[in-house]
Amino acid sequence: MESKKPLRSAFVDDYVVPGDVILDLADMTNQTIKLGAGLRQDCDTIQVTSAGRLRLSKPNKYWVENSQKRYIPSVEDTVLGIVVDTKPDNFLVDIKGPSVAFLPVLSFEGGTRRNIPKFEIGTLIYARVVKANSIMNPELSCMDAIGKAAEFGQLKNGYTFETSTGLARMLLSSPTCPLLEALGKKLSFEIAVGLNGRVWVNAPSPSNIILVSEAIKQSESFNRIQQRSMVEKLLAKLA
Amino acid sequence: MMDQRWRPTVNEREFIEHALQSDIRVDGRRPFDFRKLKIAFGREDGSAEVELGETRVMGYVTAQLVQPYKDRPNEGTLAIFTEFSPMADPAFEPGRPGEAAIELGRVIDRGLRESRAVDMESLCVVAGKHVWSVRVDLHILDNGGNLIDAANIAALAALCTFRRPECTVGGDDGQQVTIHDPEVRDPLPLAIHHLPIAVTFAYFGDGNIMVLDPTYKEEAVMGGRMTATINSNGDVCSIQKAGGEGVMSSVIMQCLRIASVKAADITSKIKSNVDEYTTEKAVRKVKRTPVLVAKKNDVPDITMESNDGALESQTSKTPNDAQGISKDPPAIPNDKRHEDAKSRLSESNPEVESMSNSGIVGESDEAKESVSPKSLKDAVKPKHKRKKKQHGKS
Repeated sequence: MESKKPLRSAFVDDYVVPGDVILDLADMTNQTIKLGAGLRQDCDTIQVTSAGRLRLSKPNKYWVENSQKRYIPSVEDTVLGIVVDTKPDNFLVDIKGPSVAFLPVLSFEGGTRRNIPKFEIGTLIYARVVKANSIMNPELSCMDAIGKAAEFGQLKNGYTFETSTGLARMLLSSPTCPLLEALGKKLSFEIAVGLNGRVWVNAPSPSNIILVSEAIKQSESFNRIQQRSMVEKLLAKLA
Repeated sequence: MMDQRWRPTVNEREFIEHALQSDIRVDGRRPFDFRKLKIAFGREDGSAEVELGETRVMGYVTAQLVQPYKDRPNEGTLAIFTEFSPMADPAFEPGRPGEAAIELGRVIDRGLRESRAVDMESLCVVAGKHVWSVRVDLHILDNGGNLIDAANIAALAALCTFRRPECTVGGDDGQQVTIHDPEVRDPLPLAIHHLPIAVTFAYFGDGNIMVLDPTYKEEAVMGGRMTATINSNGDVCSIQKAGGEGVMSSVIMQCLRIASVKAADITSKIKSNVDEYTTEKAVRKVKRTPVLVAKKNDVPDITMESNDGALESQTSKTPNDAQGISKDPPAIPNDKRHEDAKSRLSESNPEVESMSNSGIVGESDEAKESVSPKSLKDAVKPKHKRKKKQHGKS
């Protein structure tokens, strides 16, 4: 007799600290659970390794969400990296993590040995994390799972700045966060957000770029209502 | 740890210069605006912490008696030490000061020494033998750009609030120096003639765009930098331009003019902060004086001061029977005694009471002193009358 009902952890959406046991596998039979960042399997229990909020994504993916200045690479994250060096096989890209990441020179759409892109040191790249574990350097790719370019690659012009990982996640949340929505109503700009806490903003005029950047930097600890009122005040000052 | 250092992207580099063409800086400032300046002082004299935007520097001044240099036997010495803590910037290494640290120390030192801002001759105690050596330690706590200006302000604020112990020369041969304890004799401030303020400019785009007070990112992208140390009178104390792009002499003159305006501004800020701090310290000192006054007048009983509530509450019961004249019940004096300054003042009266009455136990008397509206003391000690009336109302 197998229990078909998936056992849900009692701690979902709660704050957890390292050492907490969130799930006991002895009660579950024949079920798979996916573990994301901040969780570890210890024999029959799932233990927390970093402090934050426990999240569940249906049907069975658990991870711990927290906000910090440093970034711990995790697979399938989209990040903004800066090229620090070029090697014959890889570009070395800094993604604000513990170690520098490798971007293979062929991981571009239609990439062959003949058309390797030329990136100088300091180029900003929007890429996807393909391999990430604590032992090796993470690996990136500028293609999506199918093999298409899909917005990955070099970002030209504009301005970059750094934020915490929590703010980056907030900017990427769907539905669109009130901050970007309110700014988008009055100003035209394009924005790329990396889950590693780097943001790129581009707009026709420099003052718009600076406005958007400052608005985002200030909203580090604001909730939805505060964000909206802050943006309204800012735009009112301009008009 | 090469990969831990922050590097600017090509986008930032181009954008900062492009925005400056339209006179806009990335943090929203105008080209010649300083960031917000905050000066805070520590508990001890001579310690100051300065926040200029995101840059934080702490200055700490100490002094000790040493032998003067042979060629200047009647002048004290001033030395600046800088410490670039690795917590301020991943690029700072612990251990020996790097090039930037030495340059910063040198610029601040030159600004103070060459312009004779701190009077060295007043630091001489015994010519040729003992002089005060003043040491300024500057700790960089957070590097948000423009360390030289922030460190200079920290050094000046610390020097202004520093107090050195007073010392007298005496003894048989007139060579014995006694350094007085700060509790016994008030320590003295340094004689500072003027405040040399360092103002740093950063150059971009072939030397024709300049900004004041560069941030960390602007410093990474700039073409060159110049620091001008000027005081509020407009005297140029020092100029430092080490390498970088060449600039026209007209640009340098313009920068000096702008710097003198900013120097006056910052001087007034430093002075107002220092004055605020010194008056607050003086006010705190004044409250202590009643204790000293009471101690001097106190003739017999010293014990009563230490055991405020306990002893007096015990003894107040016994003389109540003995001295029933014009004495209020002991309950009220107990409450009154909890008020610090007032109880201290009332202690100065016991000797008068003990003279007028039999003087069995002075404690309860002085407690009741504070409460009884009219008694012999009003006639005998008129100078306390004013203070007594304040707590005489029960």
